[in-house]
Formats: sequence, structure tokens, C-alpha cells
Amino acid sequence: MISTGYKKLVVPTIVIIMAIALPFVIKAPYFQHIIIMIFIWATLGTAWNLLGGYAGQVSFGHAAFFGLGAYSAGLLIFHLNVSPWWGLALGPVISMVVAIPIGLVCFRLRGPYFALATLALGEIFRLVFTNWVSLTNGAQGILILNTFSTKIPYYFIAFLIWGISLIIVDRMIKSKLGYYFVSIREDQDAAESLGIPTTRYKMFALLPSAFIAGLVGAFYMNYIAFIDPHVVFSLSDISVMVILVVMMGGVATLLGPSIGAAIYIALSELFRAWLGSANVLAFGIIVCLVILFMPNGIIGELGTLKRLFIRQDKKAMVAGGN
Amino acid sequence: MSLFLQTIICGILLGAMYALIAIGMTLIMGVMKIINLAHGALVMVGMYITYFCFKEWGIDPYLGMFISMPALFLIGCLIQKYLINRLVEVDSILPENQVLLTVGIMLVLTETMRLIFKSDYRSVVTSYSTKTFFLGDISISIPMTFGFLIAMILTWLLHLFLTRTDLGRSIRATAQDRDAAIYMGVNASRITVITFGIGSALAAAGGSLLLPLFYLWPDIGHLFTAKAFIITILGGMGSTMGAILGGLTLGIAESLGATYISMGYKDVVGLIIFLLVLLFLPGGFRSFTRR
Amino acid sequence: MKKCLAILTVLLMVLGVTVIAGCGGGTQQGQEAQDVIKIGVILPLTGTEAMFGTMEKNSMEMAYEELKAAGKTTINGKEIKLIFEDDQSRQDAAKAAAEKLINQDKVVMLSGGYSSANTNVIAGTAQSKGIPFLIVTGSADKITKQGWQWVFRGAAAPSSKYTSALWDLFDKQIKPRNVAIIYENTDFGTSSAEAFRNDCKARGIKIVFDQSYEKGAIDFKPMLANMKKANPDVVFAVSYVMDASLIVKQMRELDFNPRLFVGGAAGYTMPEFLENAGSAAEYIASTTLWVPSVTWKGASDYFNKYKEKYGKEPDYHGAQAYATMYIIADALARAKDFTPAGIQKALKETDMMTIMGPIKFEDWEGYTNQDRPTTYVVQWQKGKLEVVWPEEAASGKLVFPVPKWNER
Repeated sequence: MISTGYKKLVVPTIVIIMAIALPFVIKAPYFQHIIIMIFIWATLGTAWNLLGGYAGQVSFGHAAFFGLGAYSAGLLIFHLNVSPWWGLALGPVISMVVAIPIGLVCFRLRGPYFALATLALGEIFRLVFTNWVSLTNGAQGILILNTFSTKIPYYFIAFLIWGISLIIVDRMIKSKLGYYFVSIREDQDAAESLGIPTTRYKMFALLPSAFIAGLVGAFYMNYIAFIDPHVVFSLSDISVMVILVVMMGGVATLLGPSIGAAIYIALSELFRAWLGSANVLAFGIIVCLVILFMPNGIIGELGTLKRLFIRQDKKAMVAGGN
Repeated sequence: MSLFLQTIICGILLGAMYALIAIGMTLIMGVMKIINLAHGALVMVGMYITYFCFKEWGIDPYLGMFISMPALFLIGCLIQKYLINRLVEVDSILPENQVLLTVGIMLVLTETMRLIFKSDYRSVVTSYSTKTFFLGDISISIPMTFGFLIAMILTWLLHLFLTRTDLGRSIRATAQDRDAAIYMGVNASRITVITFGIGSALAAAGGSLLLPLFYLWPDIGHLFTAKAFIITILGGMGSTMGAILGGLTLGIAESLGATYISMGYKDVVGLIIFLLVLLFLPGGFRSFTRR
Repeated sequence: MKKCLAILTVLLMVLGVTVIAGCGGGTQQGQEAQDVIKIGVILPLTGTEAMFGTMEKNSMEMAYEELKAAGKTTINGKEIKLIFEDDQSRQDAAKAAAEKLINQDKVVMLSGGYSSANTNVIAGTAQSKGIPFLIVTGSADKITKQGWQWVFRGAAAPSSKYTSALWDLFDKQIKPRNVAIIYENTDFGTSSAEAFRNDCKARGIKIVFDQSYEKGAIDFKPMLANMKKANPDVVFAVSYVMDASLIVKQMRELDFNPRLFVGGAAGYTMPEFLENAGSAAEYIASTTLWVPSVTWKGASDYFNKYKEKYGKEPDYHGAQAYATMYIIADALARAKDFTPAGIQKALKETDMMTIMGPIKFEDWEGYTNQDRPTTYVVQWQKGKLEVVWPEEAASGKLVFPVPKWNER
């Protein structure tokens, strides 16, 4: 017991110290940019993982929450001339509020039906934000100038958001909620027959998920400094890619999405910079290979490998669920 | 009034094209219960094959169908046999990782076509591409009518195949209850391979029919994937007749939306109908025909 | 245990990328930093806009070879080196590309930018880093309306100015009573339509139909039938390539006869438009920034050479890229030193002729460093694009009102 408590403190401390030191070690702004992008995707992946990985509700519409967060920040400066940083407070709230009706509608459905309903909702958001020009400035998007000219403030904010999302998810899955989520994922009917109000608990997974996605969306607006509906509500570039990130890293593991994000951003950037016009092809082949040979993602397969050598870890059972 | 009729007719003709693409998907989803995000890319590959036959050998797109369909049948079988089926056998937390495999396949197909054919827009111009006939003052496009008829014939043939032949029955059995089908001696993994092949071939047929009136570039697949999903759910997974009904509904809904609301919102109309059906008629239109 | 492994993996990945990329960048700098002037060019080479990006890259490379043959790519013993980066038609990739070029490759100048969205992002990055950015195509008005001193737009016009020549033609000759506007709901489409709408209002021209559409639609007939009912005098349409040809083909199918159909550049002037629309393209007019038959020196040479080399006809996008390369070489030749500030100053003083006409970066009507574009109205006549306005550049006479479909 003492040793686990001790370990609990040590690992995060090392990570935090390393993270604080990192931008001073890696001085090149280009790499700082890549790390910030990794944090953005890691956070978004963590958000998706709570709903999709732990509770098993595979959403194809997370771009809706991401985009709402981004537009909350963007519209603040566009209409009210308020600093877009306030979007970090407003965006998550708006995403969460919108998530309630979405949840009520979609949680009546299961499996592929749920996935497709969220897909449709995500697309509806994109189309409405494109066409509702008086509110959103339509396809012309919102352009701002970056607040800071160096990357370091962005780095720390992104790191903080990532940390917050990890803490939220970690707290939730270690509590009773986590068990409910996994039980819903593994067998919803059984969970219901045991008296778990499944819709309510799915909602408990969705709301924080939308909150985090909105938060990181608002940060994205501040960092990239330009958004338009085709970008932030994109089905193929956001909603599907976030699933890819989580699945590559490891579904239903705390750090899987972050690892997936690191791999996704690093690989796509490496390929983009060095492979010329064949870069997306190379990326597609890697995706196929990863899914074929590591169907549970990198962390998921690490667990399997480990289990061959070490006695089964009970905690990992619950968290990993395999 | 003529505006209304024109809108409805446009919707029906377009809906039949959508339906043909969606039938492939509904079969695949019905039998394998997976979401195939590469479906649009398969349509795209079919279109490129038809285009190539037209440009190189002057084969009419409607005849090119007989080349693109077997080619895509083969590609589909290979994808299912060597990629997707491998994944079905391993145990994973979320079955949805198959979806991601299809994303990977989609990327590979799209980019391969881009390497071969570049990103240029291609189109096939035939003598009948813009021919129309008029009923009163309602204009009806001849290639679209032709496409409509071929789509109906193909659906009918498929329906016969599924209801009258042993292989077809095995496919339906696998769709209804995979385990039970296996106990009855159906080789389920062979069935999935054939189903994916047929689904891909139908996607290619849809592509070939669209080619004379549409155009082609490597990213065109995205357009079709979303539509095919919507129709699959509207019609009910695995139901060919449902897919036809769903396609027509979507086509008409989009046309009406474009005429009476705005062209920009036409897709929203389709998506809202989709959500309503999901919520209030979860089995799709198939629920009407059953029982 | 699992956690440790996970964290380790992340750190290893990051480290790995750093090392690999660091080495790559390092060797390049070590060898060449002394004797090259690096120019970063960001264009879409994959994704939905790849066709245009490729055409622009080809054109720039062609211009570079010509300059090289003339000995203009080596200035004071330093050679101009172009570094092309793919933005995958996505804005976060454009951002990454800009960051990489500025910080890793240490370019002294940026160019490129096809879509408005990506151009916005590159411009913002260039402005905050203090690197001159010369836009090739990106045409959203706001890019040069931010007062950004580091952003230059030479061969490209702001989207609201594409119609200057058209309005001249309208005022002097056509005098439309009412118009219909259709446009794709992208940045270029909406801002072109907005500018056109305002111009109509200023002149009291009635707008009888005004609608956007999602690009990539198959069937435009419901919208066109509706528009036919509104019976406009003149139709103004902003569309991408293939949408453009589908729209005119379906107009013929519906037997919809406005007195004049004018496209807003983009799709209506491209070779693919003619190829796909066939005879339906006849008499369709369009605004444009460039045609091969313009009188500017070198224009037709460029067109023929490109066609010969790449087996495909270029359109004004290619010409923009070609002219941009010449502007870059011209500015560098005059620059006192090859620092970003030196190049910025040289760009500001640009006053030269290109195949896109005279180029000068001026501050006017709220624009900063924006060339005053020359625009044309062209019309497809017998399968060829003829300039019909302004009169002094005209190669053909405007056919107006155009004959009805069934009378051709």
C-alpha cells in the first residue's frame, strides 16, 4: 500500500518536472509547435476515450464539441471584441450544454446506430455553422492574431489542459463510475438488469468528455488563430482522426490516447515533411498495419505482452477490460 | 406546380443512384455489422476503372460497368479476406477498430489513385451526357433515367440472388444470426468475403452509372460514404428493398430542401430525416415490410 | 509499471522525432547556409486542392528554370533555393509547414498559399514571426486588410475585386435590371458574393435570387429550377471547376435562358470546364485575372511552354505562381541584404511587369501591400476564351444577349 502511494506521487512528479523543462531543452519553435499539437490531440483523444473507450459509446461526432469550443472563443472576439482566451471558460460550458440534448437523443441507440447518429449530428453542426453566416461569418471563418509570439505560453497552457483532462478522467474511472462505464460497455443489458440507470451513466461520461473537447477546441482557436466550419467540424479530419488516435494508442487506457496522439502527429509530420506527395499514402499503410497487428493499440498490446511474463494485474483488468 | 414536380422527379432519379451505392453498404453492414468508411473510396476506384476504359479503349461507361464490377468484386474479396477477416478473429475491446481499418484502406485507395491519375478533375463526355426529354415543361435527363432503370434492374437481380439461390440464402442467414448460420454448416468467413465482394461490385456499378453525369477526382469518395450510411439506416441494415426506399426518400428530401429551403441546407434536411428515423423507427423502413 | 512504459514511449517518440529532424535540418544548414537564399513555398500537393497546388508548383519550377538559364537565380554569389512544403489542403498542416520553414529551414521569405483558409494561417504565422510572405492565390479580402506589414499580395486579387471589369461592363453596356447570385459556401464563394451583392445595392439593381450551395453536389436542378422561376436578367455564379460545368449543363437541360451568365473566375475559365461542359460552355462569360491571350509580354509563351512541358493547359492559377516567382527574383535582386527586413523593403519597392500585368504593392482602400489587380471579362466563343472587356484588351466582341439554348 505504501509503495503504491509512493509510486503514485513519483511518476507524476517526474512527468511534471520533465514537462516544465522540455521547452527549455527543445528550443526550436517548430518542435515546440509539434509538441503543442500533440497535447491538443492527446487532450481531445482523452476526452473521446472517456465516452468511447470506457463507456463503449463510439462517437463519430466529437468534432461538434471541439468546434463549439473553438467557435465560442472565436465568436467572442468576432462579435463582442472580448479576448478569445475567455473562450476557455465559455467553450467547455457551451459544449456541455449542447451535449445534454445530443446525449438524450443518441443514447437511445446502440452500437453502429449510435455511431451513425453522432456522425449525423456532427455533420449538421458543420452545415449549420457554414450556412448561418450572420452568427458565424460562415465559410470565411474567423481570423485573429496570436496573443503571444513565442510558443512557451501556449506550451504550458496546452500542458495544463492535458493534465486537467487526465486528472478528470483518472478520478472518474477510479471511482465507482468507472466500473459502471465498463459494465455498460461490456454488456448493457446485464448492466441494466443489475439496476444501473445506463442512460444517466452514459451522460456522466458524455458531459466531461464534451467539456474537455470544448476546452481544447477553445485553445485551438487561440493557438492556430484561424478557424472555419470545414476545419473544426470536419468529419474526416477531426471526428474520425480522434478515434484513430485513441485506437492506435490504446482504447480504455488512461495514457493510450496521449501515446496515439504523439504517434499520429509525429508520423504525419515526418511523412509530410519528407515524403512529398506520397505522405498520406504512407500514413494510410501505417494505420492499416497498426490496426492489424495491434488491434488494441500500443498500450493494450503492451498489456498482453506483459501478461505472458507477469502474473495478471487485477487493476489492469478493470481499466483495460480485456 | 411544375416546380414541385420537377423537384420530385430530380429527387427520384438522384435517389436511385444513391440507392445503388447504398445497397452495397447495406449488404456489408447487414452481414458483418461493421461501418465501412472505405465504401466511397470503392465507388471512386470503380469510377476510375470505368474512366480508364473509356479513355484508353473508348468503352462506353455503361459497358465499362461490366469491367469495373468484376474488378471491384475481386478487390473487395481481397480486402475482406486478407485485411478485415484477420481482424475479426482477434479479440479486442471495441469491435470498432475494424472501422479504423477501413479508414486506413480508404486513405490507401485514395492516395494510390492520386499517384496514378494525379489530382486532376476527370470527366467522361458522351453523346447522351446532357440529353433530356420534356414532359410538359418538366425536364428529365436521359442518362439519369437510364441510370435509374439499371439501378432498379440490378436491385431486382440482387433480390432474386438473395432469395432464390443457396449462396444468397446463406448470406441472409449469416446476416440474421452468424452463430446459428455456422451451426447450420455455413462457412461464415467465405460468406463475408463474397458479401464484401458483391457490395464493392455494386458500389462500382453506382460509380459507373454516375460517371457520365458527374465527374471524378481522388477525394470524391467522401461524398458517397455519408450518403450511403444515411440510406442504410433509413432502409434498415441488410435490406435491399429498404435501401431503394431509403435512397428515394433521401433524394426527394434533398431536392425538396434545395428548392424550398436553400441549396446550402439540403444536406441538413437529409440528416434530420436520418435522425428522426433512427429515433422513431430504429429498424428503418424495413420495419414496415416485416410483420 | 504500465504508466512508466507509456510515458517512456511518449518521451522516446518525441526524442526520436527531434533527433531525426534535428539531424536532417542540421546537415542542410551546415553545408549550404552560406551560399543560398532559402525561400519556403507552401502549396497543397495532396488533398482536395492538390490539382491547383501541383499546377502552381510546376509553374514556379518552370519560372525558376527560366530565371536560372538567364543567370538570375544567383545573386551576389548566393543561389535562390525553393523549398516546397505540402499543406495537405488542411490548415493545421499549413501552420506546421510555416513553422517548420521559418524555424527549421530558416527561410528568409515565404510564398504559396492556395486556399484562403490556409493562406490566413500562413499569413498570421509570417506576420507574428516577421517573415515576408508573398501570396500566390489566397484571395480572401481580409488577409491584406489586417494592416499586416509582412504580408504581400501581388499576382492575386482580393476576391471582392475580381469583378472590377465586370462592373465596368455592366455600367457601360449591359445595365442589368435584376440579377441572381449563386455561390459555393466557401471562403472565396461567400466573399465574392458579398462584394457583388454590395455592388448591386449601391447601384439599385434588384437581386431576385441569392443562394449558396455545398460544393460537390450532383444535382443542381432544384436550385436552378427555382432560379428560372425568378427569371433573372443576369446570373452571377461563383463555383469550383466541376460544379461550374454541372451548373451550365443542367441549365441547358432545364432550358433556362438568362440574358447573360457570368461566372466569378475560379471554375468558369478552366480547360476542364470546357472539356466537361462541352457545347454548354458556349457564350458563358466569366471574370478572370488572366487569360493566355492577354497582351502582357510572355503570357502566351508561358501558356505554350507549360502545355508542352506538362501536357496540360494551365489557367490563371498557374500564371499567378509563374509571375510570383519572377516577383521574388526581382525583389531579391534589389534587396540590400538577404534578411527578412531587407527583402520586405525590396518587395515594398517592387514596380515591375509580369505576365499578370504590372505589379506594385500599395496601400489603398484599407488594403496593405496589395497590388491593384487588372481584371477581365471573358466569354467562351467557339470553344475559345475571348477577352470581351475592357475594350482596349478585347480579342472578341461580347455576344449579348446570348441566344436561347434551343436557338443554337
